[in-house]
This record gives sequence, C-alpha cells and structure tokens, in this order.
Amino acid sequence: MSRSSPLPARTDLRRRLLLTYGGFGIVAIAACLAAPLVGSTRISLAHAFSRSAPFADNVDAQIFFLARLPRVLAAAIIGASLAVSGAVFQALLRNPLASPDTLGVSGGAALGAMVAITFHIDVTLFGVPSIPAASFLGSLGALAIVYVLATARRRGLSSTTLLLAGVALNAFFSALVLFVQYFADFAETFRSVRWLMGSLDVAGYTPIVAVIPLLALSAAGFATLPRALDLLSLGGDAAAVRGVNVRRTERVALLSASLATGASVSIAGPISFVGIVVPHLVRLIVGADHRLVLPASALAGAALLVGCDVAARTLFSPLEIPVGVITALVGAPFFLYLLMRRS
Amino acid sequence: MTRRRLIVLALAILPVAVPRASAPAPTEAPRRIISLVPAVTQMLFAIGGGARVIAVSNYDQDPAEVKALPRVGGLLDPDTERILALRPDLVIVYEAQHELEQRLTQAHIRYYEYAHKNLANVMATMRALGDILGTGDAAEHVARGIEGRLQATAARVAGRPRPSVLLVLSRDPQSLRNIYANGGYGFLHDMIAIAGGRDVFDDVLRENVQPSTELILARRPEIIIELRYGAAAVGADDLSPWQALPSLPAVKNHKIYQLVGDRFVDAGPEVAEATEQFARTIHPEAFK
Amino acid sequence: MLRAADVSFSYEAAPVLHRVSFVVSPGRIVGLLGPNGSGKTTLLRIMAGTLSPRSGSVQIDEADISTLSRRDVAKRLAVVPQETHSTFDFTVLDIVLMGRYPHLGAFELEGGSDLAIARDALAATGTLALEHRLFATLSGGEKQRVVIAGALAQASHALLLDEPTASLDLGYQLAIAQLLTRLNHDRGTTMLVSTHDLNFAASLCSELVLIRDGRIIAQGATDVVLTVSNVRAVYDVDAEVGYNARAGHVTVIPIARAH
Repeated sequence: MSRSSPLPARTDLRRRLLLTYGGFGIVAIAACLAAPLVGSTRISLAHAFSRSAPFADNVDAQIFFLARLPRVLAAAIIGASLAVSGAVFQALLRNPLASPDTLGVSGGAALGAMVAITFHIDVTLFGVPSIPAASFLGSLGALAIVYVLATARRRGLSSTTLLLAGVALNAFFSALVLFVQYFADFAETFRSVRWLMGSLDVAGYTPIVAVIPLLALSAAGFATLPRALDLLSLGGDAAAVRGVNVRRTERVALLSASLATGASVSIAGPISFVGIVVPHLVRLIVGADHRLVLPASALAGAALLVGCDVAARTLFSPLEIPVGVITALVGAPFFLYLLMRRS
Repeated sequence: MTRRRLIVLALAILPVAVPRASAPAPTEAPRRIISLVPAVTQMLFAIGGGARVIAVSNYDQDPAEVKALPRVGGLLDPDTERILALRPDLVIVYEAQHELEQRLTQAHIRYYEYAHKNLANVMATMRALGDILGTGDAAEHVARGIEGRLQATAARVAGRPRPSVLLVLSRDPQSLRNIYANGGYGFLHDMIAIAGGRDVFDDVLRENVQPSTELILARRPEIIIELRYGAAAVGADDLSPWQALPSLPAVKNHKIYQLVGDRFVDAGPEVAEATEQFARTIHPEAFK
Repeated sequence: MLRAADVSFSYEAAPVLHRVSFVVSPGRIVGLLGPNGSGKTTLLRIMAGTLSPRSGSVQIDEADISTLSRRDVAKRLAVVPQETHSTFDFTVLDIVLMGRYPHLGAFELEGGSDLAIARDALAATGTLALEHRLFATLSGGEKQRVVIAGALAQASHALLLDEPTASLDLGYQLAIAQLLTRLNHDRGTTMLVSTHDLNFAASLCSELVLIRDGRIIAQGATDVVLTVSNVRAVYDVDAEVGYNARAGHVTVIPIARAH
C-alpha cells in the first residue's frame, strides 16, 4: 500500500480545518434539518409552525416538536459523543479496534439499566427517571474501576493492560447482566432485551437537557486533547520526549471519553458500531491528524446516527426497528471491509 | 418475587398454532394433572378438575389452592425430571415446548398443548379440557356463563360510539419510553372490542406494538388504559408523564386510567369480569 | 551540555545503575557502550527525563532536569528511539511536524516557520522527497532518518539516540552513521548514542562511556578507551583492536569468548 495523504499535504492546516469543519458540518446540519421532516406519519409543516391553533391542540406541531425534534437532537449528540469517544479511545489505547465499549463503560451502564428494570426501581434522581439514572450510575461504577486500574501504576498506563482489563470487565458485566436477568420475568426480560438494542425515542427534551452538562464537560476535555493524542499514538515515551504531559493527557482522555459514553448510553442504550466505524471512515477522508479527526468524527457521527434513526423509524412503519440494529447492520459489514483492507 | 406476568408478552413472540392433544383418546379420564400454563390451571379449577391438579408452573398463583402444590418450572425451563417423577397422566404444555413434548411422548404420558389465541379460544379450551377430564357438563356450564356475561357487557355498550383505546401493557417508569401497547390481535383486542372500544392499533395484526412517540401522537387515542399486574401492580400510581403529550384527546379530556390485576393479562376464567371492567372504564355512563 | 551526576537506579530491589557520572560537552558525540542488560536503556531514559533516578541528578545546560517541565526538556533535548511505530496513517511530514509540539501553544497551529524548520530537517536527513509518503510504508532505514529529522525539528542542538541502528541492516547502519556525523559537523548537534555495536560507536563517537552491570568501566576519548582489555572487561570477548586507515577509525574484530 503506497498512497499519499488524501488531502494535499499540510500546505495549510488552517485551510484543511476549514474544509473539514465546513464539509462535515454541512452534512451534519443537512441531516439534522432533513430528519425531522420525515417520519411514520405525514404532517403539514405549515400547520406545525402555524400559530393559529394553540400548541396543545396542534398535532402536527406536537409530532414535530415533541416526537421528532428531540429524537433528532438525541441522535445528533449521541452520535457525536460516541464517535469522538471512539476516536479518543483508539488513540489512547493505540489500537484501531478500540471503541467506546472496549473498557466496559457500556457494560456497566447496561448492568445499571438491567437492575432498574428487573427490580422495578421507581425513584427519580434529580428528576431523571430511574432507568437512565441507574444506567449512568452503572457506567460511573465501571469508569471508577477502569480509572483505578489505569492509574494504579505511577508511570503512565499500559494500553495492553488496559485493553485486557476491558475484556475482563466486559465479561464480568455481561455475567452480572445475565445474572440479574435470571431474576426477571418474561416481560422484564423482554424490556431488558429491548433496552440493549438501543432507542433514540427519548419522548421529550428532559433526557437531553439532563446529559448536556455531562457532555459539555467531556467536550471541554476533548478540546485539550487532539495534538497530544497525535503524539500519544506513537507511544507514551515518544509523546513524553516531545513535551506531552502523558499522565494528564491519558487521564483527561480516559475521563472525557468514558463520561461521554456513559451519558450517551444511559439515555439511548448501547448503540453499537458508531464509535468504531466513524473514526475510521473519517480518517480515510481527512488523514490521521486528531485536530481534524475529532471534529470530523463528531459531525459525521451525528449525521450517521441521525440518518440511521430515520431509517429505523420509517423503513417498516408503523413498526420501528431498534436503531442499534440498523447501526450494526450498516456498521458491521463496513468494519469487516476495513479489516480486510488492513490485512 | 411474582413471576406471573409472562402471559401476554411471552406468548406474543411465540408462533401460534392450533391446540391439539397428543395420542389417541384413552379410555380413562386423567387423574394426575400437571399444568405449566397458569391460565389453564385456573380453567381446570373452574371446570371442576382442580382436585386432580398435582403440580403447577413456577408462575402459578391462582386459585389459592395452587400455593401448596409442587412447582415444576416454566415455559423456558420446565423441570422434566420432576414432571416425570410425579407420574402425571396429563401434562398441560405450551405449544412451543417441543422438547418436553418429545420426552412425554417417549414416557407415554399424555399432554395437552395450549396455544395463546383469541378470546373465543378461552372457552374452546375449557370445553376441550372438559371433554378430556370427563367434566364436559361443568365445562360447558362455565363456558356458557362466561359467554353470557360477555354478551351482556356487549349489549350494555351497544349503540354507543366506539372510542379509540390505547392499551398500555408496560412502559418505563416516570417517562413515556419503551411503551408496549396492545395490537390488533389476541384476547385483549377482542375484550376491548366487546367492551365498546376500538384499539388504536387495530390495523397492526400483532399482539403488541412498540409505538414511537410520533405514532402515539398520530393515532390520537381517546382513552388510555394502563395495565398493572404482577410485581408492577404494587408500583406507584404515576400517570403524569402523559401530560407531555397534551394534544392527545385522552390527555385533554382526562381519560387516562389504570387497571390493576392479573385478570387482565390471564386468558383464564376471569375474562368476562375483566372485559366488564374495561367496559366500565370506556363507557362509565352505560353502567349508571 | 548534558551531565549525569552520581546517578543510581533500581527496579524494585534489583540495582540497575550505580553512581554513574559523565558529561557530554556541547558539540560532542558520546557513545554509551555496553552489553545487553548493562543499563544503557535505563540510563538513556533517565537522561531524557522520562524516568527519575533513585539518587543523583541529570542536568541540561546547568539546569536540573527534574525542575524543568516536559515541554522545556523537549525544547532542549530530542530522543530517537530504536524503532517508531505509528498507529494511524500519518505522513512523513506529519511525523516531523510533531517535533514542533513543545514550541507551540496549547491551541496553536503550526505556521510557516514550523513548516520551514520541518522541511529543513527533512532535507538535512535526505528525506525531503518522502514528505507526502505514509510513515508506515517506509523501510526501517527511511523511518529512522525521518525520526531523526523530527528530532532535529524539535531540538536541533542535543539528541539522545537509543540503539538507532539495532534493527537496521549493514548498509543503513553506515548511512545513519554518516548522517549523524554530518549533522554533528554541520550543525554542531550534541549527541549521546547508546549502542552495543563497537565499530558503529568507533566510527561515530569522539568519546565513549563503557558500562557493565550498571557501573562505568571506562570513559574517555574513543581511541584511548577502546582497548583489548576494556573490550574483554565489558563483553568477556577477546578481540583484535586496531586503527584502520581505510575506515579512518579504530576497529574491533571479535575473536573468541574470553574465559
């Protein structure tokens, strides 16, 4: 394989940044604008935006503003979060096969949700319903375990150790999920399985508002990372001797990506493959520089998940396919193609 | 914990087949019956076969007599050894329990295969069991009684407008997420129709639907009935999340109700009572 | 100038370095010679500041390295490891520009001057023609020259090289030795080179530090230190050591394992 970088070499990084933000931004915005226009039902946009009828009586307006718009927004922020988290985990672990699920954060979130569903935990936490709240707590528990493992040694973290720890944690959480499900009756099991397929029908803005502060915190962490991740992808020592504060970079990367993943999974369930496929897709277009990869992943992840959700809610309407099924159906073959191409 | 809730949702995913009994009819009526199907257990007691039931599933709770009986597993995990050891001469199994059926055939034990279908099937099953048990007259009496009550309910609401009903089987607590609603097929659908309602998902020929928020808004149900049963029956009485969708006629007109009890999800001898409760909820003015 | 003062180090209870002291004067190339496991790599990591000594200190230009930030160390000292792997598809220019990291602010982009420095470094290592190639597709020798270019773009006055030719074949070894000699001559770049290849060291270094089991056996000018007895003391090998007029430096021919 002997090809040069797809874009003309770094003659002007500023120009490439503009192209990346502009190009991917247009795609993401177009997806977000077009998605609320389609759905399982036909609505009149003119009526939806008309003020002649009070909102409480305007079905078209409610379908647009209460059913579709929150869904599209949820898909956009979750797609963006998962894709950026995936890109960050891939650089942090120096492993192109890493994803937001690799370190067990999603597994912890799933366990939390299963416990809430099976044992009918019915209390709200700061106004957040029990299932997303329990799911987020589960992801925090997983993150705490990973963080302790990663920082136990004073010298930076070992990516191999962390990957293996992730494998072990995921197995552990899967076992606990099955164990909890053993206590579930059929209806609960059915709901658990449905949760594990992922859904973006958040039915209002409350869940989105609840995760925005968490995602903003992650975004602030992500903003400090791109160049350090470039260097970190050459190895911990290689980054350190070029002036990177490796420990701080690794901790910020681990915390930001895990927090974004946990928050996303808690409101939408584990949506697979967005976090692993989007960064690879983006690298094929913009190259390896994380100053381009991270924003492009966010925008492409948003566009992809918004698009997959449109497919989920329209393909077999009025029945709805779980969005996690669509992302995996689209993502898995593409991922296999990438694997074949690598080897 | 209570694990009886399996009926509606569990069976919704099973293929539907005509119930059939195994083996040629023996000369003698069964005296040692094991039932793995809670609804059928209730039918057996109702038609005078209760004394012959020697074991039931892990999920059986009614009638009170079953509490003392041995438990032999459920739909997914029938305890075959235990079942054989109890030396039954009739086993009531689910249509999907093929493996168990094979073992029973090998052991020359008769079984009755129950399939979950429409409302008429409840009475048909009772009559078939009556024939097998030799209590045909009692079964006929009970079945006619149920049919009579159903007809009476239908007569009470006859001629009234048929409001669209969203029948919610389950949803996430404190939100409108992961809603399971009744569809256009099955005994619950038939019961709503007799009770003078029209299921909003009449056109979806499945036992249940997982409607999106958009679909619920588009269907504009005039009445919302949430069922609470099993462990959830003790849960909080929180219908407030529906206020998020003010354009629904049911929300606007405060016609959101909750019915508590396992009779609503058991296709057993209490279907007539359950149907009447649906009717009282949908058409309260007809019962004044 | 680079100085190790009384540096000791141990992993757990196992001592690795014992009171090592030496100086790399500005503009000199000093070779760090010793067999596998002698403590060379550990010493180099301590000199680079990525490992802290148990006792003793390291100074760069009279400043104690432990008092400098990673960024300040990186501006004064660049490191060329034995091998460099890139997880992602970075181009050659990408890799060299990474050397500019310590010179840029947190959100600052590389500007024209950084690009000029990077191209200059590529030209100095004879890799300018490779600038748009993907790093991962280069040969071992090409990679090493590109990494040296990155090191020059980062801190052109002092380099630490950890067995820079260990994974290269003979031709590339000679090419790297010539490149380093030329850089030292043209730019006055100070270098500390660890190696176990005596002839590579003899061709390149004006001074040598010989270590074994974490202790310095001998140090000084190359033709003074590289003797039959020192080779035997460090490697347990009987060798012929002599000046080779065609090579222009002392050469070592190993003969047999000493008893």
